[in-house]
Amino acid sequence: MKRNNPFLTGLALATGLLFLSPVLYSIWMSFQTAHAYYAGGVEFTAGNYLRAVAEYKFARYLLNSIIVSGLVTLLGITIATMAAFAFARFQFRGGNLLFGAAVATLMIPSHISLIPNYLTLAKAGLLDSYAGLILPSVSNGFAAFFLRQYIKGIPKVLDEAAYMDGATPLQVLWRVIVPIAKPAIFSMGLYIFITEWNNYIWPLVAVGKEDFYTLQIGLARLYRINPGEGLVDWPLVMAASTLTILPVLLGFLLVERHLVRGITMGAVK
Amino acid sequence: MLRILTPYMLVAPLIAFIAVFTYVPIFESVNLSFRHWDFLSSDMPFVGLENYRLLLASRDFWNALTVTAIFALISVPLRLGLAVVIASYLVSETLPSRLLRGALFLPSVTSAVSIAVVFSWVFSTDYGMVNSVLTWLGFGKVAWLQDPQLALWVLIFVNTWKQLGYDIVIYIAGLQAVPQELYDAAAVDGGKRFHVFRRITIPLVMPTTYFLLVISVIEAFQVFTIVNIITHGGPAGATDMLVNLLYRVGFELFDIGRGSALAVLLFIFLIVLALIKSRVIGRRVHYEA
Repeated sequence: MKRNNPFLTGLALATGLLFLSPVLYSIWMSFQTAHAYYAGGVEFTAGNYLRAVAEYKFARYLLNSIIVSGLVTLLGITIATMAAFAFARFQFRGGNLLFGAAVATLMIPSHISLIPNYLTLAKAGLLDSYAGLILPSVSNGFAAFFLRQYIKGIPKVLDEAAYMDGATPLQVLWRVIVPIAKPAIFSMGLYIFITEWNNYIWPLVAVGKEDFYTLQIGLARLYRINPGEGLVDWPLVMAASTLTILPVLLGFLLVERHLVRGITMGAVK
Repeated sequence: MLRILTPYMLVAPLIAFIAVFTYVPIFESVNLSFRHWDFLSSDMPFVGLENYRLLLASRDFWNALTVTAIFALISVPLRLGLAVVIASYLVSETLPSRLLRGALFLPSVTSAVSIAVVFSWVFSTDYGMVNSVLTWLGFGKVAWLQDPQLALWVLIFVNTWKQLGYDIVIYIAGLQAVPQELYDAAAVDGGKRFHVFRRITIPLVMPTTYFLLVISVIEAFQVFTIVNIITHGGPAGATDMLVNLLYRVGFELFDIGRGSALAVLLFIFLIVLALIKSRVIGRRVHYEA
């Protein structure tokens, strides 16, 4: 690594802050009273957050987002890992065809299934439910593909040794493959979580009752129920927006560190 | 016996979900696109190609196609052009470069709804950040989101702001694969910075460019969230892109037949692009090997 130049570091920081200034300013705005904001003054308050939570149920939306994204990630990564293990380690009739079908979903634009999925869940009585929010997002062809590649790179002798000791395939998957593939599973899970957290169009069509709003829907509605241009309560809206961004932002900062650690560990070895 | 069944049991959940929520819906969409249905009535008569005919005869469809095409035509080259230049500056593993990369990358993992809401404020006429700066500089206020000539440009700007960091990260990966000797040789020959960029960087990241080109066109044709929130397709249809039209026809007008016909057309177009993409990726892998 080259020596750090303080001037360049400052320049990079300034450019980055300028680039992110709309978001940073919106966070700043979320801590201002509406009165002070429109009068051009500065007056700090946590009131916008309290109102978002008390008047507009943002605590509930936050919980819904956590439940939905969490379960989509858990279910999605579980079935993708199981399938990836089968595709990587077993020769079975139709295996290539099924793998092809899973990978082909990468090319299929999700909008084709929007109306039919809405009808399916309406018929099943699952609109306005966690199941309705979760089920259509569970399968993930990309995760299955990615994890299969990763598992293929794990030496097969490890499986064979376990089978010799009398392990069942599920035990091999759980005791041998999963621990080794943990970094890949973790990053894939993170990717699924972020994607689902930010999902907008599906919750928009699948949910009408406020009890099942995710943060994205809650924020969009809060922004839209404001009477119109000029009358939007921007500090309140920005508090809601900050609540929506924050978890991913914190996760990103955390994982950045993990990524850097991973890189340096690899370099030291 | 159990050993033969094992792989099937392992793949069954994934395949079941894919079948129910991805493959069956394709056939269902095609079926619905041949029917007339308003979601409320109990019968859905077969009308053949009527929905397609109506769609192709409507001004809304051609408007949406034109607006989407303009959006793609401007935003994609803009993104890739900016990204390749910035990436060539940020390719080094120094602290400033890593900081800036992080800042630029952040929006691509951030909620599109939040970004859309924040930029609705940034471009709002009375209290917006942009107009505040313009006023401070002595210019008048601009009605960014109410002017049909400007609203699409705002969306192009927001989309570029959101996606740029992703393009940069991909370009950096592409650039790191370029052998350093080529740059060293150019330095020995006294190559000017711009010359090196044009003669070495651009041609060598061509596979990355192809890849990004196809996926950003695919993305551009699926833009929805920022349209739905910032402009709602307006003013006067100036930003009414294809998926926004699909959402309006299907879920606001409840014309399931015509909505499905639009979904099928979009599907065919995007599948063709995706097939091009998979060939491009194939070539890219070959190139790197």
